[in-house]
Amino acid sequence: MPDAVFAQAIGMCSAVLLLSAVLLVWRRAQVSALPLLALQGLVLAALVAVMGIQQGSPELLAIAALVALFKGIAIPLALARSARGEFGGAPLINTATSLIAMAALTALAYAVSSPLDALGSGPTIQAIPIGIALVLFGFLLLVTGRHAIAQLIGFLVIDNGTATVAILSSGGVPIIVELGVFLDVLLVILILYVLTGRIQDEYGNADLDDLTELHD
Amino acid sequence: MIASGFLAQVALMVIAIVIASVTRARYRALVCGVAVALIGVAGVVTGALALGGHQGTATVPVALPMGALTLEATPLGGLFTLVVGAVGAITAIYAIGYVHGPSASRTSWIALAVFLTSMQLVPATADVVSFLLAWELMAIASTVLVLTEHAERSNVRTAAVWYAAMTQVSFSLLLIGFAILSAQVGSTQFGDFSSTQWNPVAASVAFVTLVLGFATKAGIVPMHVWLPRAHPEAPSHVSALMSAAMVKMGVYGALLVTTRFLVDGIVWWSLLVLALGMVSAIYGILQASVASDIKILLAYSTTENIGLMFLAIGSASLLRAYGIPGTAQVAIAACLLLVVAHAAFKTTLFLGAGSILRATGLRDLDRLGGLGSRMPVTSLTFGIGALGAAALPFTVGFVAEWVLLQALIHGAGSNNRILAIVMPVTVGAVALTAGLALMTFVKAYGIAFLARPRSDAATGAKETPVSMRIAMGASAALVIALGLVPGLAARAAATAGGLSDVGSVGLLGIDLPGIGALLDPAWLGILSGILAIAVIGVSIRAMRKRPRRSVDLAWVGGGVRVSPRMQYTATSYAEPLSRIFDDSLRPQRDVIVTHSSEARYLVERIQYRQRVSDVFEGRIYQPVIAVTERLSAAARNLQNGKIHFYLAYSFIALLIILVVVTQ
Amino acid sequence: MSATAASLAFIQIVVMVLLTPLLIGLIRQVRSLLEGRAGAGVLQPWRDIRKLFGKEPLRAPGMSWVQAVGPVVLATSSLLLCALIPLVGTVAFPLIPDDLFVVVGVLLVGTVALALVGLDTGTAFGGMGSSRHMMIAALVEPTVLVAIYALSVPIGSSALSQIVNSKIESPVTVASPVSLLVLVALSIAVIAETSRMPVDNPATHLELTMVHEAMVLESSGRDLAWLELGSWLRLGALLGLIGSLAIPWGLAVEIAPIPLLVGSIMLTIKLTVLGCILAIVEVFLAKLRLFRVPELLAGSFVLALLAVTASYLTVPA
Repeated sequence: MPDAVFAQAIGMCSAVLLLSAVLLVWRRAQVSALPLLALQGLVLAALVAVMGIQQGSPELLAIAALVALFKGIAIPLALARSARGEFGGAPLINTATSLIAMAALTALAYAVSSPLDALGSGPTIQAIPIGIALVLFGFLLLVTGRHAIAQLIGFLVIDNGTATVAILSSGGVPIIVELGVFLDVLLVILILYVLTGRIQDEYGNADLDDLTELHD
Repeated sequence: MIASGFLAQVALMVIAIVIASVTRARYRALVCGVAVALIGVAGVVTGALALGGHQGTATVPVALPMGALTLEATPLGGLFTLVVGAVGAITAIYAIGYVHGPSASRTSWIALAVFLTSMQLVPATADVVSFLLAWELMAIASTVLVLTEHAERSNVRTAAVWYAAMTQVSFSLLLIGFAILSAQVGSTQFGDFSSTQWNPVAASVAFVTLVLGFATKAGIVPMHVWLPRAHPEAPSHVSALMSAAMVKMGVYGALLVTTRFLVDGIVWWSLLVLALGMVSAIYGILQASVASDIKILLAYSTTENIGLMFLAIGSASLLRAYGIPGTAQVAIAACLLLVVAHAAFKTTLFLGAGSILRATGLRDLDRLGGLGSRMPVTSLTFGIGALGAAALPFTVGFVAEWVLLQALIHGAGSNNRILAIVMPVTVGAVALTAGLALMTFVKAYGIAFLARPRSDAATGAKETPVSMRIAMGASAALVIALGLVPGLAARAAATAGGLSDVGSVGLLGIDLPGIGALLDPAWLGILSGILAIAVIGVSIRAMRKRPRRSVDLAWVGGGVRVSPRMQYTATSYAEPLSRIFDDSLRPQRDVIVTHSSEARYLVERIQYRQRVSDVFEGRIYQPVIAVTERLSAAARNLQNGKIHFYLAYSFIALLIILVVVTQ
Repeated sequence: MSATAASLAFIQIVVMVLLTPLLIGLIRQVRSLLEGRAGAGVLQPWRDIRKLFGKEPLRAPGMSWVQAVGPVVLATSSLLLCALIPLVGTVAFPLIPDDLFVVVGVLLVGTVALALVGLDTGTAFGGMGSSRHMMIAALVEPTVLVAIYALSVPIGSSALSQIVNSKIESPVTVASPVSLLVLVALSIAVIAETSRMPVDNPATHLELTMVHEAMVLESSGRDLAWLELGSWLRLGALLGLIGSLAIPWGLAVEIAPIPLLVGSIMLTIKLTVLGCILAIVEVFLAKLRLFRVPELLAGSFVLALLAVTASYLTVPA
């Protein structure tokens, strides 16, 4: 792959990652959250694939396929079944404010990543702040989400962010580590999935405001 | 030559004072107006000479221990003297027709002469003592002028107290800052300040106190609270002078500090100035956009414009600190052009507001309307001023803002993360400011001058006397002339700031060769003129066939055109905005619904009241004032009027002194 | 003023004046067809304009000269936009660069003229439309200027012709993240500025929800004709700008008959496609509540800001 095309591909992937995260926050109350999450997963897979092609490494291509399968298809589908289209009330802060907050978080991510210049310069290094921004966006979703599913989405965005940073900074994590992280995340999601299902069966909804007093 | 210029200003001031004291009331306005205008002209000439490269100093030996008072011509000071002189001359002409009652008194004219002269001398001073002397003279004279109408409205007294207090805060801060600098250098001459290795801590303290001191005078948030009080209550020619000229002294001071004294700035200094400017710009224009008192609106808009100037200064020093001096020069040029632009359009606007006030007795936009057909000259000049304030093309406001934006977008060429974050945010802030300014001035002009009058006072409005029209016409002409051929102003700014990368091109357009940008508004004007002729030609052909017809009621929008009270007012115009920015403005709204006595479901009348108070005043100043009042109440216990206590205080003081001295 | 640039400007103006009424007709026709109506035909806007120029304008007491001058100013500013924006070719006047800040300034002159016409009527609806129009314009401005910033970072100039030329020269930047984010942000800004769905419903008959229509309610005859034509030209020019930024190929880089012809045809195709997309999107969108519009604009502002960030990512170190 020529360098210019590689740089554009990396830039494009990271931009779509960012865009999908912004849209997640923007259209949060809508059902469109899950397709966006799926899109994010697929773009992440594309990013891994681009890295794989550039480095000529079949492991990375395999990881890309796994990422696409899990993050792009399986998890969104599972969430879709669990959420059944309902996402609970509006987030804790209004949309305009969270959008401005996202702009500020992007700036922050960009500012704090200045030590990364030591890693050298190139399209991958320059895109790392986007991964950090994704992590911060995920936290924003976690903090302001009202519904358990919304928080799950936030958690997944954080995971996508860490994966992005890992892929971009080291040009591919050792496959064992990556798989381990995957399994962890999958485990957590399964637990949360089961939990929300239970909570929903028990109380009829999963609005966190109603869950402030949990008893055994 | 320069020295005689300074001398002429002072001599003319003395003449004006003498004339004001001896002439009878009948001729006073005319004679004094001309005398004060001459002071302004002297200032313009001196400033132009200084800009033209003439050197010169005037030294006044005095018995003070600090050395002689020195006046020296510098290009930067020259530009400011020129601007102040021009504003002064125009407002003095205006005052001939405007003054009435207390503002026509001897005191008022004398104070005006002293005010103008001291303002013109501030940028010419070359040492700390004479600077502070001129500064304080300017402050005192302006306080007297703010107090002019104190017998008529009680608000004037409150405004004057706020103004005097904030002025003293500014003075004290400047005193501290200059004291630190002088102590470091061992001299009070400005010339010695520029070539020194500063102790970083002392320099930081001096920088912060000086910048805050100048910012207070300039009306920067959060020290702006005096501005929306003093401007509306002062007579309009004084408001124009204060807003268009006096607050610029704060900008001059900030430029002095950042470009002459403490040049190799630390990054956070620049960020401080930038942040002060950004907050002032946005907050000022937000308040202006929801204001319905026309002079308060203009006062807040001053805060906005000064904010933009500080923003330009801050980004200039930031760019210099990060090694992009070429673009930093453009930012300084932007600041100086903003100074010129703001002086031109704010003079026009305040004078226009004065004409409205004189014709109708109203400042409240909600009760104005339809003045366009009743006061055509005021309408035209105010409209031009409003275009300038809204930074629309073909006005000097647009040119200044264009240069500012060019500086900002070329600032981040390097791979610097701080710049890469700060510059886009700054561009966003400037853009929001520009957008809101547009809305503010469409509101101010449209509500006051268009549609139908909303009160009897507005219905009976008459055009103003000739001297006022001349003054308004002159300043409005400057707004357009400097906007069409900004090359002269750009060259003046280049000389004043010592900038090599700013010049003129084409038909006196602006050229910024350092960043490869140019703007020639005259050609743009010619192009749009050609297009306008085509459009008008089609219109005239259509008009020949079917002339315009007057009807009693046109569409009437569903029959609601019956009463002028059904029109949108300034308050309703800004309502969507005040709702969107509810969190930052916190307006208080009361809706009182009176039901009909016969049936509860019928509404007899609805009263809607909205008050937007200053957030900073409530949050910062009121607590401080409350604490001060509590302390003074406690102190009052000491002063109970009994002679024994006072004697006891003296006795205790004596004892303390004895103990201290013998230690 | 260079003769080549002047001739290009002339051609652009002629093409745009001919095309934009057809574009509006096309948008309306596509909407009608999608909504199951027959529609008035693509030529209807042209007929409307002709009819309006032949009618006398009415003037009610209290209205001022703004009623007559405002429409002329709006039309002139729109024509100036058509002359400055690279629509058919990228040859700019040497002394009037098609600087984006200047373009925005010219655009805002038209906005202000329209708002003053609305206020001058002295009716509640006129003021209402004017107030909303200005509020939206004020909030759109940050998006537009920051988007310009993002476009200007890679080439160090805010002149449109240089931006488009650099895109023609290095095609790889056309599909860059910066372009993507900027185009989305700018499209939202253009929709808001030209009063299209979901910010304003151009086909509404309910005064209380109107923005643009409320301002022109009281105008008639040639005043209304200029207002309508001016607004259409604005929409056409801004859509053309988006087209030039998205697909820069085909724009004439020199003044010769063949490139100009190609440029004009490309412009027609781009406007047709964009007009159809706009119409289709409008059919499926509901108008936003007025106080939800700031959210939309905040979103577009964030996208523009992200575009700036992204523009630093793709600048070679």
